[in-house]
Amino acid sequence: MSRFASPDEYGLADLLCCAAAREVQDNEIVFAGTGLPMVAIMLAQKTHAPDLKLIFEAGTLDGRPPELPTSVGDARCEIGASRASGLYDTFSIAQRGYVDLGFLGGAEVDQYGNVNTTCIGDYLDPELRLTGSGGNPDINSFAQRTVFIMAHERRRFVENVSYISSPGWRVKQWPGGKFVHRRELYGAAYRGGPSAIISTLGVFRFDPEDGRMYLDTFHPGTTPEKIQEQCQFTLDTSRTQGETAVPTREELQLIHEVLDPDEIFIPKV
Amino acid sequence: MEKDKRISVQQAAEVIKNGSSLTFSGFTIWRRPFSVVCELIRQRRKGLHLIEVNGGPHTEFLVGAGCVDIWESCWVGHELYGKYGANLSRKVAEKKILVEDYSHAEMVFRFAAAAAGAPYAVTQTSLGTDIHNPKYDMLGKAGLRDGKRIPKSKYVFTDDPFFDAGQQVMVPAVKVDVALLSVQQVGEEGTVRVNGQYYSDPEAARTADITIVVAEEIVPEEYLRRNADQNTIPGFEVDYIVECPYGAHPSGMFGRYDVDGPFLKKFYSETRTQEGFDAFAKEWIHGRDQISYLEKLGWSRMLKLRANSAMNYCPRERKRGN
Repeated sequence: MSRFASPDEYGLADLLCCAAAREVQDNEIVFAGTGLPMVAIMLAQKTHAPDLKLIFEAGTLDGRPPELPTSVGDARCEIGASRASGLYDTFSIAQRGYVDLGFLGGAEVDQYGNVNTTCIGDYLDPELRLTGSGGNPDINSFAQRTVFIMAHERRRFVENVSYISSPGWRVKQWPGGKFVHRRELYGAAYRGGPSAIISTLGVFRFDPEDGRMYLDTFHPGTTPEKIQEQCQFTLDTSRTQGETAVPTREELQLIHEVLDPDEIFIPKV
Repeated sequence: MEKDKRISVQQAAEVIKNGSSLTFSGFTIWRRPFSVVCELIRQRRKGLHLIEVNGGPHTEFLVGAGCVDIWESCWVGHELYGKYGANLSRKVAEKKILVEDYSHAEMVFRFAAAAAGAPYAVTQTSLGTDIHNPKYDMLGKAGLRDGKRIPKSKYVFTDDPFFDAGQQVMVPAVKVDVALLSVQQVGEEGTVRVNGQYYSDPEAARTADITIVVAEEIVPEEYLRRNADQNTIPGFEVDYIVECPYGAHPSGMFGRYDVDGPFLKKFYSETRTQEGFDAFAKEWIHGRDQISYLEKLGWSRMLKLRANSAMNYCPRERKRGN
């Protein structure tokens, strides 16, 4: 029997969770967001990255929660932690350069990895006001790598986002708003940027020089052509490695029996 | 003996005036001072300027009730119980509220600067984003930058003059009239012991001109002073104390009770329209006090949320069983 699950044994959320877990390397300090990334990080911890350190934005340093927290302010976060404190600590630690990897989300993304979580339409007269940036730009400014998990629709993968909440590889230089490589703006604070977008259709990465998005792998059941149709910008599909690796049976068992048995973030198929 | 700091929920709300700038303890859906928030709505407070590290359902209560003119923060929502702040969204679309967006770290650093008595903080966060777009300086556009409560600029760019580390952004200290905190324990003289993550509560208390602490219980000051290293906020930073058990429901309180997820889900789905919010306020806020609010919630619901005192949260196993 293959260690990889067959198509009827896993759902899309399982696939995204496992793809996200594979972005984590052992011994890294990882800044966790609420939701599916939390399951992904804990999955990595239980498989290939047992010594990763987990920071919860609300104030937990190296938490080892025995039960899945539902948000980063949750009482569950700090169980087994090295220290429970507050946001001044977590953001100072991030700005100081301790964070290797952060997981984030977004409503819209452009080809340079600029992400919008603030509003749809003109900021001054929005069709819809969303949550606002939260810590998205901070983690994206301070971490060496960030990984975004997003629903993939043509209206979300756009030429220009309505509002840049979180900085990608080519960002706006104020006061004029001219696009420049983020290296030029961040100076000594430059450490990296978005390293992957894991969407419901594929995994995307960025060319470090021109900052443009390219398709790395596509999820089973779709094709690079179909994914291009779901992007408003021209997507580089020339570097595609093939299909996204599917979950293993061990990973599925950990997700559904150990990490999220109550299906808080990941439904069972 | 110092003056007695003890006041009621009603008196706590009366300390907060029309037009006050106000901040809160907690983080998104944890440790929010709902009992006093509901009383502010009952007292029909107007023109509040909320300055928050992050918002949550308490923001939505006050915004939905029309108490807020300005919201300065970075995020509002209900975590997994509601995608965004639908009341704030509605008021933004109707142009009935001014929103000034900063990033999360910028808000934390603005509070830290204020708490240290500094006029501004300097950081490298969020460079290149629309948070720094000069066209989106909403308080400036409204002509409100008086250099008193509202800083003369939203931010100022500067180059590191000491180590040539490149561009920095200076963000102004916050000016907060009242901090309203919801915590587990406060002593008779105001010493606060927060259990669990303390979020940005120490900065909020130190920053505000007046700090009101709403606690699950008021305990003998001497009890807290036996282990001063476990205390979070010194008593002299606290002006008023209120004892109000379950005063943070429907948000959660480490060691005491979990977030009431179904309550928040229902609030989010039913208050997307003004009519929906008004119906909610009529049912849960107006004509009530804390006791009748808790009576309406009922014992079975509260027991389901009660934390295990060894684990500090309510294990899901037990939550399902009850």
